[in-house]
Amino acid sequence: MSRVRVLGELAVLDDVGPPRRGRAYPAAGATSALLLPAIVLLGGLVLWPVLRTVHASVTTDGHWVGAKHFRTALAAPDTGAVVGRTVLWAVLVPAVVTALGYLLAAASRRSQEGGLVRLILLVPVALPLVVTGVTFRLMYDPDPSRGLATLVAARLTGRSAEAAPQLLGPGLVTVALMSAFVWAWVGLAVLVFRAALDAVPPNLADAVRAYGGGRRHVLWDAQWRPLLLRTVAVVFALVAVGTSRTFDLILVMTPGSVRDDAAVLALRVWQTSGGTTTGEGAALGVVWLAAVVGGILVAALFVRQAWPPPRAETPPDPDRVAPPRRVFRLLAAGAAVAWLVPLVVLIGTSLHGRVDAAARGWWSAPPGAGSYLHVVTGTELWRTLAFTLLLATVVTATVLVVALLAAYPLAWLTGPAAQATGLLLLAASVVPVQVIAGPVNEVLGLVLSSGTARGLALVHVALGVPFAVLVLRNAFADLPAEQVRGARLGGRRWWDTLRRLARHNLPAVVAVSVLEFVQVWNDLVVGLLFSGPEATPLGLFLAGQSRGFVSNSGLLAASSVLASVLPVLLVVLARRQLVAGLVSGGVR
Amino acid sequence: MTPAGRATRRTLLRAAAAGAAATAAGCTGGSRSVQVAVVWSASELDRFRRVVAGYPVPVHVVSAGNDIDAFLRARHLAGTSPDVAILPRPGLVTEYAQRGWLSPVRPSSEYAVPTGLSDLLMTRGRRYGVWVKAAHKSLIWYLPSVLPRPPGTWDELVTLTRDLGALARRGSGPAPLAIGAADGWVLTDWFENVLADLAPDAYDTLAGPDADWQGRPVRDTLDRLAELWSIDGAFPGGGRRALLTQYEESVIQVVRSRRAVMVFEADFTDEVVGTFRRGPEEPKTFRFPSARPGAGGPLIVGGDAAVAFADARSGVELVEWLTRAGSFQPWLDAGGYLSPNTAIALDSYADPVRRELAGEMRAPGTLRFDLSDQLPGPFTGSDGLGIWRIMQDFFADVTDGVPAAEAVRRATGHLAAAARSAGGGR
Repeated sequence: MSRVRVLGELAVLDDVGPPRRGRAYPAAGATSALLLPAIVLLGGLVLWPVLRTVHASVTTDGHWVGAKHFRTALAAPDTGAVVGRTVLWAVLVPAVVTALGYLLAAASRRSQEGGLVRLILLVPVALPLVVTGVTFRLMYDPDPSRGLATLVAARLTGRSAEAAPQLLGPGLVTVALMSAFVWAWVGLAVLVFRAALDAVPPNLADAVRAYGGGRRHVLWDAQWRPLLLRTVAVVFALVAVGTSRTFDLILVMTPGSVRDDAAVLALRVWQTSGGTTTGEGAALGVVWLAAVVGGILVAALFVRQAWPPPRAETPPDPDRVAPPRRVFRLLAAGAAVAWLVPLVVLIGTSLHGRVDAAARGWWSAPPGAGSYLHVVTGTELWRTLAFTLLLATVVTATVLVVALLAAYPLAWLTGPAAQATGLLLLAASVVPVQVIAGPVNEVLGLVLSSGTARGLALVHVALGVPFAVLVLRNAFADLPAEQVRGARLGGRRWWDTLRRLARHNLPAVVAVSVLEFVQVWNDLVVGLLFSGPEATPLGLFLAGQSRGFVSNSGLLAASSVLASVLPVLLVVLARRQLVAGLVSGGVR
Repeated sequence: MTPAGRATRRTLLRAAAAGAAATAAGCTGGSRSVQVAVVWSASELDRFRRVVAGYPVPVHVVSAGNDIDAFLRARHLAGTSPDVAILPRPGLVTEYAQRGWLSPVRPSSEYAVPTGLSDLLMTRGRRYGVWVKAAHKSLIWYLPSVLPRPPGTWDELVTLTRDLGALARRGSGPAPLAIGAADGWVLTDWFENVLADLAPDAYDTLAGPDADWQGRPVRDTLDRLAELWSIDGAFPGGGRRALLTQYEESVIQVVRSRRAVMVFEADFTDEVVGTFRRGPEEPKTFRFPSARPGAGGPLIVGGDAAVAFADARSGVELVEWLTRAGSFQPWLDAGGYLSPNTAIALDSYADPVRRELAGEMRAPGTLRFDLSDQLPGPFTGSDGLGIWRIMQDFFADVTDGVPAAEAVRRATGHLAAAARSAGGGR
């Protein structure tokens, strides 16, 4: 194999998979056995439901109707606005998050306060989106005696409370939702950009300067072209896919009267079909599915790289990079303070009893533990937390096992087969669950029972497996040849080898586990579509409490704070592994 | 596929799934108890559990909340429907019955509900459900210390709103009306009360297949609502703010922050009142005023109905038991329960307000069942959908200075279109 170094990046000139038939490489039979659980899950709960939805979009009660449902759905009076809003979300929000993420990553590098800034930015990433919605709805409350943002807006514009701009009103509600989303996602972008910036070899910049390049040239030739282009594409694609999660925010943040002014495809599909998938809902779903999968495939083309991936080189010595200029450091500090405000609002509200929180602003009454006492002494929250903990643990363990088994044989694929599986997994991991809810319910009805904890767990597992396989496959392929050889010589059987390799892959395993756990813990939509009445998962519990928002705000804020402790701890502790997992898994 | 083939495949897949997926233990157990899915949660759920504790067989009550329809559909797909369900809308009862999901039920001899209620649960001449709980939806709540003389007629209500609105605009008093316009059902309740008062006969046809949503009665009703809602200063913070006010907050505006004088809503408002009341003063209620002096005013009633699923023998028996006069006594004792059953003696009510309301429900002729709950498909309304959304758009128009004629024209157009696409109306 031959490798040539081009400006710091490794270009792989020939096909360099590890030798394919080692002693411990699983034989064909074993390979199928290893892939079987993942194939059954994805086939039954993702692929088949997608086909059923496509089928439902062109039929009525089994009879072919052609494009009728598509025409009806697209001709409905506000479908145009809904599609437009969905596109706006998928373009504008990722652009803002990417730009802010890059700026703040650059500004918080190599300064004393940088670590703290990044930590503050990271906390919103870990919060359930339902909690983010609760937080921003508290902040944007239309009553200036309760809503901090409305109070400030009224003061700034010099208008009366009645005439002040209302962020939750029909005109600004999308802006309000977007601000909450950006708040929640920028930390992730910062983390990824920081890892990318750290990986840029500083001698590149020296080389550009030596040839007389200015600041602009350094940015372009020593940062953008070698590394940042790809990172920007990765972050943009990640956030764009993430915008389908707006659903949670819309459900929690918008009062019923403005829900239509905020509606995106995710909400419309759910409104038209609920837990079943028929006709127009299916047609809208197919449109949405095609857009998401098409978009992610285009993004994947942008960021593809040689497979197996080039070896990472040793990171450059960080001390050689100069800290950013003072203006930038101030920018970072300012951002950190701004990012703290919503957290203060949430905690401030949670420190007031139900009546106080509903009747006056959290800043105008002395704090107390009334809401916490009420929530903690009741049984509902504890039951929900215990159930969610059990659910998330079981799902995470299952996903890990299924994905490890599947990733092991997939990692040794090379060439087009490897790329094709990568794209398939990527496509499967971005299928919006609202689109396939009806068929999934049918499948669950056949194999288990829908509306039970087992059915809920099964759906979570099926939705979590593709991404986990992707991350673990890439991590396996990333392993240095010596380690693979060592594991193969040491392990007598393929499962010994797998175990040894998994041990070398600990960061990726940690990343997958934490991501999956937090995903299930923070989920709303899967719980909404598939959970039964026996046990309510956390997201659904909080969303249910938010229905009578003002009268429940104190209790809701207290429950939200308690519900957020675990995911925040996990994400903060595992942030390094998460970045590694996301960057490698989301990209190739 | 033959039923046998289907069963075999199901068994096979079940076995396969049990092997492949080591998932959470959430088994419901195989006890012989009767399973009931209910729409209630929180304190209502607790009280219903106390009611069924009196049933000789153990009853397993599960709360499916507001999404009970989606829950029951999923359960039906899975073949694991409960024995009994308590549904929030009569439209669901007839829909399920037409699909053959339900078995006919026979109420006990102690079951009597006002005329107009029991017919709603009949399909093809058979009864598929019984009423188990009612809500009185024609009340206006106020504090006597703030409003010494409540209005007796619609015109007095309009005059009062004008006077108090003018005061409120100058900043020298609370706004006359609080309204939770962010919740579409509050607005449909307004609409139904005015319609039932103005054109009771048209009210009855609007739920049926020959509904005329662009006719004179609907237009007159909307005109009258526009007359009241468009008054400047009628709502605290104005119309824009009212559209962001939820029902609970509108009650708080009257009983706690006292930024409004009156709030219209159902008997269950006393739950919110109990939590947020300031001082010892109890709010009082008056009936939604009629346009005709001396008339009793409209009476809109909502309710929850119990159904038994097909092949659930034990379910039919439980439904019969629920219609006996004594079954709901624990809930009557605890308060907060209004029975649709007129065979229950008024003395059984421990709660004086409910006793009075139950008496009103027995007056002949005036009672109408909540119209929006009878509408077909998505027209029935939910957040952002159906009649809820149309009434919110109408409210936004009239409070934003759109001339009443234009606002009414838009609203009736939307109503007719929504009725058509939902398969009802012309």
